[in-house]
Amino acid sequence: MRVALRLLVVVVFLAPLALVLAGSLRRVGLPPPAGLELLPASPGLTAYDRLGELTPLSRLLRNSVLVVLVAVPLATLVASWAGFALAQLPPRGRRWLVGITTGLLLVPLPMLWIPRFVLYLQVGVLDTLVPLIAPALAATTPFTVLLAYRAFRRVPPELWEAARLEGASALVTWWRVGLPLVSATTTAIAAVAFVFHWGNYLDALLYAQSEATRTLPLGIGELATVDGAEQSVLFAGAVVLAVPAVLALLAVQRPLLATRDGS
Amino acid sequence: MLAVVGPSGSGKTTLLRLVCGLLGPDEGSVRIGGQEQAGVPPERRPVAMVFQGYALFPHLTVRENVGFGLRVRRVRRGDRDARVHEAAQKLGLYDLLDRQPAELSGGERQRVALARALVRDPAVFCLDEPLSSLDPLLRADARRELADLLRADGRCAVFVTHDQSEAMTLGDRVAVLRDGCLEQVDTPRALYDAPATPFVASFVGTPAMSLLRRGSQVVGVRPEHVRLVPGQDAFVHAVEDHGHEVQVLLDVDGGRLVARVPVGDAPPVGSRVGVVLGRTTTWPVG
Repeated sequence: MRVALRLLVVVVFLAPLALVLAGSLRRVGLPPPAGLELLPASPGLTAYDRLGELTPLSRLLRNSVLVVLVAVPLATLVASWAGFALAQLPPRGRRWLVGITTGLLLVPLPMLWIPRFVLYLQVGVLDTLVPLIAPALAATTPFTVLLAYRAFRRVPPELWEAARLEGASALVTWWRVGLPLVSATTTAIAAVAFVFHWGNYLDALLYAQSEATRTLPLGIGELATVDGAEQSVLFAGAVVLAVPAVLALLAVQRPLLATRDGS
Repeated sequence: MLAVVGPSGSGKTTLLRLVCGLLGPDEGSVRIGGQEQAGVPPERRPVAMVFQGYALFPHLTVRENVGFGLRVRRVRRGDRDARVHEAAQKLGLYDLLDRQPAELSGGERQRVALARALVRDPAVFCLDEPLSSLDPLLRADARRELADLLRADGRCAVFVTHDQSEAMTLGDRVAVLRDGCLEQVDTPRALYDAPATPFVASFVGTPAMSLLRRGSQVVGVRPEHVRLVPGQDAFVHAVEDHGHEVQVLLDVDGGRLVARVPVGDAPPVGSRVGVVLGRTTTWPVG
């Protein structure tokens, strides 16, 4: 029974990925299939070649990787610091700030589009990669801060006091005591930040859509206009977009499941 | 060695936190060896704290735990190792230096916490409920071991406990706290023989002093100073057999008395007996 349930979950999540993968192997130029097709009749990689012709793939990739390389560590650091600071506050101020942080989760993102556009315009960073990295300065989403906060609150407070008695500053306490004890949560935060920044289509569309700054999601998104005979190119793009995310999650899966702060 | 004892919420732990600098006093001052400590940060006070539950860093080895403070204070590696080894030797932790706290027994963890305090070379040890997280069966041994260790070291130690028998057996002097106020500080003997307030009287000793209301006075009498004679003064409410002695709970005018009687001399429950009080202590009703 449990195995069956697990299989069901796996199928539900894996099926779309499998279909995309299968679709990307269909040769370019054939008419689109009538229905779902688990494996194309004569699979090939022509869609990937065509993808390279239609989009500046290496530049898209480079931009996306650049954004993620800067934004993910930055977001993780900010979230961890903010969560740590929240956890150190006396109960009263803490409750307030945690409440506000939770409230921020309810702010609809479209509310921020125009203010952010104006801000980026005035600072002069429109059509650079900066607007794609900037959310990391605010930990990408309040959710990561709350994650970090919960993790640091689970650490017995005497450990902070013991460190303080030894003269450890806040930064040293965070680095030597806090961070090693919440490594699983920190990994999870990095994963959340990665998924957001890697697939960040909207910010790219709004603030950075010139040739030079275009990232992978935007570049692939534009393929939606190809005609039916080239549909497999769109699938190939989706695979290129998905593979790094899957690899990144596989890479962090082991530390995520093995560490102690989940308990 | 000063034992601080009191019911929970009486301010015992707060007192330790004031001494070690985790809290600042609203008024008054903290002096250690005559030196005013206001404005001195915790790490520069000549105080080391052993937390309740020990607060060992679970991700660090014994060596790293003991050397944590030295490392934070950027003591050079050679010196650090030497001092960690010295403390480990003193506490018999030498073979455990590369273990993590999770791999240690309760007693070993306590010794690691003590070693971490010892490397600071403090003038005062603060210990918060040092025995409470140990198995009750091991507590008596651990108590003796702890006493030997602290005495051998010859340093001042302040330790907090809610267990009056622990305070009486470990402390050279015992301070009794109640609701943040100091009720009495004295030797265990003086505390037992001449409690300053009815609260101290009712807190110290097993069983505690019996308190009787007599007009405008409270009269306290220890169970060993109650003698049973033929008579009608008291109603025998219950008899508790403790093996080496029998305690008799008596209802008398003004309250309840406990009497210690030799095994075999207990009156039957429900009967009436006469009572002669030996040494008593009296306080005005406050």
